[in-house]
Amino acid sequence: MKKLVFTTALAGAAAAHGAAQGAEFKLPQFETTKLSNGLTVMLMERHEVPLIAVRAVVKAGAVNDGTQAGLANLTGDAILLGSEKHAKAAIDEAFDFRGAQLAGGSATEQTTVQANFAKNDAAALLPLFAEIVQQPSFEAAELDKLKNRKVSGLKQAKESPRQVAGTYYRSMLYGDAPYASPAGGTVNSLAALKRADVQGFHGRYFRPDNAAIIVVGDFDPAAMRRQIETLFGQWTADGPAPQRADYGKPLAAKPRVWLVDKPDAIETTFVIGGPGIARNDPDYVPLQVLNTVLGGRFTSWLNDELRVNSGLTYGANSAFSPLAQSGTFAVSSFTASAKTEAALDLALKTYNRLWEKGIDKATLDSAKAYVKGQFPPRFETSEQLASLLGDMYALGVDRAQIDNFMRDVDGLTPAKAKQLVDRHFPRQNLQMVLVGKADDIRKVAAKYGEVTELEISADGFRPGRK
Amino acid sequence: MKWKLAAFVAGSMLAASAQAAFTSDQVQSFTLANGMKFIVLESSTIPNANMYTFWKVGSRNEAPGTTGLSHFFEHMMFNGSKNYGPKMFDRTMEANGGSNNAYTSSDVTVYQDWFPATSLETIFKLESDRIAHLTIDPKMVESERGVVLSERSTGLENSNIRMLMEDLNSVAYSAHPYSWPVIGFESDIKAWTQQDLVNYFRTYYAPGNAVAVIVGDVKADRVKTLATKYFGAIPKRAAPPAVKTVEPEQKGERRLFVAKPSATSANLMVAYKAPRADSPDYYALNVLQGVLTEGKTSRLYKALVEKQLATSVGTDATDGFDPGLLYVFAVAANGVDGAKVEKALLDEIDNVVKNGITEQELQAVKNKKLVNLYRAQETINGKAQQLGNYETFFGDWRKLFAAPAEFEKLTTADIQAVAARYLKKQQRTIGVLAAKEE
Repeated sequence: MKKLVFTTALAGAAAAHGAAQGAEFKLPQFETTKLSNGLTVMLMERHEVPLIAVRAVVKAGAVNDGTQAGLANLTGDAILLGSEKHAKAAIDEAFDFRGAQLAGGSATEQTTVQANFAKNDAAALLPLFAEIVQQPSFEAAELDKLKNRKVSGLKQAKESPRQVAGTYYRSMLYGDAPYASPAGGTVNSLAALKRADVQGFHGRYFRPDNAAIIVVGDFDPAAMRRQIETLFGQWTADGPAPQRADYGKPLAAKPRVWLVDKPDAIETTFVIGGPGIARNDPDYVPLQVLNTVLGGRFTSWLNDELRVNSGLTYGANSAFSPLAQSGTFAVSSFTASAKTEAALDLALKTYNRLWEKGIDKATLDSAKAYVKGQFPPRFETSEQLASLLGDMYALGVDRAQIDNFMRDVDGLTPAKAKQLVDRHFPRQNLQMVLVGKADDIRKVAAKYGEVTELEISADGFRPGRK
Repeated sequence: MKWKLAAFVAGSMLAASAQAAFTSDQVQSFTLANGMKFIVLESSTIPNANMYTFWKVGSRNEAPGTTGLSHFFEHMMFNGSKNYGPKMFDRTMEANGGSNNAYTSSDVTVYQDWFPATSLETIFKLESDRIAHLTIDPKMVESERGVVLSERSTGLENSNIRMLMEDLNSVAYSAHPYSWPVIGFESDIKAWTQQDLVNYFRTYYAPGNAVAVIVGDVKADRVKTLATKYFGAIPKRAAPPAVKTVEPEQKGERRLFVAKPSATSANLMVAYKAPRADSPDYYALNVLQGVLTEGKTSRLYKALVEKQLATSVGTDATDGFDPGLLYVFAVAANGVDGAKVEKALLDEIDNVVKNGITEQELQAVKNKKLVNLYRAQETINGKAQQLGNYETFFGDWRKLFAAPAEFEKLTTADIQAVAARYLKKQQRTIGVLAAKEE
């Protein structure tokens, strides 16, 4: 590949880029209604192919794990293990036989159950989907198997620095706050979870007044509305709906380095940054444009310096990773162990150009054209649109952010860019995660802040308690 | 390395119905006097378009000493041409709202451009300039070596499967160029000369060796006008030399072990000798892969993952111009011996060879092929990829539209027959990657 899609620190949130050059692109029409039990229903018709994407979105995630890291994630996956009426094997057979996809999952602030199938299979599969969301069995033997598989997966993930560098980084920045909780849990935390914990989590958060059902694709809206009401209208909840708490702000009072030792590493994977913005920040869209200049595309400053001009790496990038209440920003790349210092210094020097030189008009215009031109394919499939609607529901993403995209991109000037750089890109007290062979890079690490060493094979993503 | 390109191939009896996203009569194609072929599909769901250029050059065209040159060349195609100096290809494209990437496999190099449809002419200027007038700047060659060395090492650092597959290929093939990694060996990456690059460009980047696919919010007439204007002037050149080496028949099982100290469990890969992409057995083998590993009710998922021996299973195949490999792989669950996973996997394969598959399993895979066809055709990207793959590997994009019938006519006996023909002990190579040898 010419380029690497390097996503260590990316949150994966859909970026609300706007219209293509010369051609307006708008979020397709959709309807939002609320059933009498409080369930939000979002329907968007699309007829390009005879497919339907469905997702249940629950406002709960790793931030609700408390001391049980991985609980939301395990619950999200365990939903698929069968319902009170149908065993897991029957569910798997029903979906698999029809070429349907069924997946569960949980992120920091939302847990989703999603299905994707042919239009003609909706009558057979939607009732099963409704059952597993509302009445999952969490059958004990199946739950144990799932847990074991996830424990193996957590161990395997640490074989790949790229898969875990971002998790260490989040943990470093959020300390003891809920946002620090690793969504997948840790080997020890996951192993300790019991069936009752999963049932409890489901009972607390899977309730109609804390959830949305989103359907995007080829269907008749009146019929779909009736079917969703039939399948989900009897869902009830006791007591008040869960409320959101304070999930934390990034800590960056002094420069720090977490050095994660992987003794057989041949390269150093690094993440550098600090506090970012929340998902619904009014500056979200213009910041996507500015980040495009710094590290969001192939000709970005970071990729140009670290890859094209110096050949130190195959790819370098930067990204804001916004959450509902706050967020982080990070520059990320990797390089051969022996070149660690050169790459870190060049990354920092390049990052400082934001303040030392600023962004000229030609560069800004190019970035504006780029984000506009690359926007439409992000929302081309029903699945992508369902994901966007899910984020709008769970993270409180305001529709105005999408509707005002053109205005917000076009209104960006070099002067405004400078103000936004000063306001939002962290300049002092940078935080750094290095995953690599500690014996080779320990001295280098000490140049950049107070060093804490971690063993990659140790449990979790933070230093062990002394 | 190339992962599954053909996973989205069409299927089932309904696929040819009016419900498919596009039909063959919507596709247009033409060939310029210099031999460069174009395939165009108008599709206006989003105001964007894609241009995919498939070049019939990959690591199979290399030799010891020049391994990885196709892939390296893929990088060099972004490093300057007559009218667009170093960096200007990307800068111009991005300033016009476009982005791009490229990949190289053992058989092809594919350049992908994604852009607002209004930038079509700019894309044609950029693409034709680098084919007509590439400059291979020695300074750019030097810095790009570092990039590719980093790409190579980061792949090995972060992917056990990649590391295992690279070593496995070198054991499974004794003569054919599929033996070496697409990215090349480290020593070769460091050794290419200016002349190697110049020769390679002249030999393989001849317009007759390419197929361009344009899908999106464009008009076919305009594409033809622009293609003629920008690519038509590039002189015709001789066809590249054929690859002559034929892999000798494998006479017995081969094995290898790869040590990676940080591996927490064994990674297993079993590769069987398989036919070239356009073999009559292609569709039956594709279904066989589906029966083995696609979905939670597939044979190997049930036998390995559901039984807690493995955390994941998969299959892959090299869709190539020459006979290649069908890979089956699994990652052992924590604490489970690799040998135990291997036995369970091979037992399950023997079971398919001996007892075949059920009607229900066959129908399930046919249904998957149909729904996956729709999924692929939901994007302009998927459509471009499908058309280009069929034209390149099957010789005609029209065969894409025959695929549903090819899948539909398969019987359980056909699947068992290909299993017996290809999943043979003497035709397999077994690779294990783990922290230490058991």
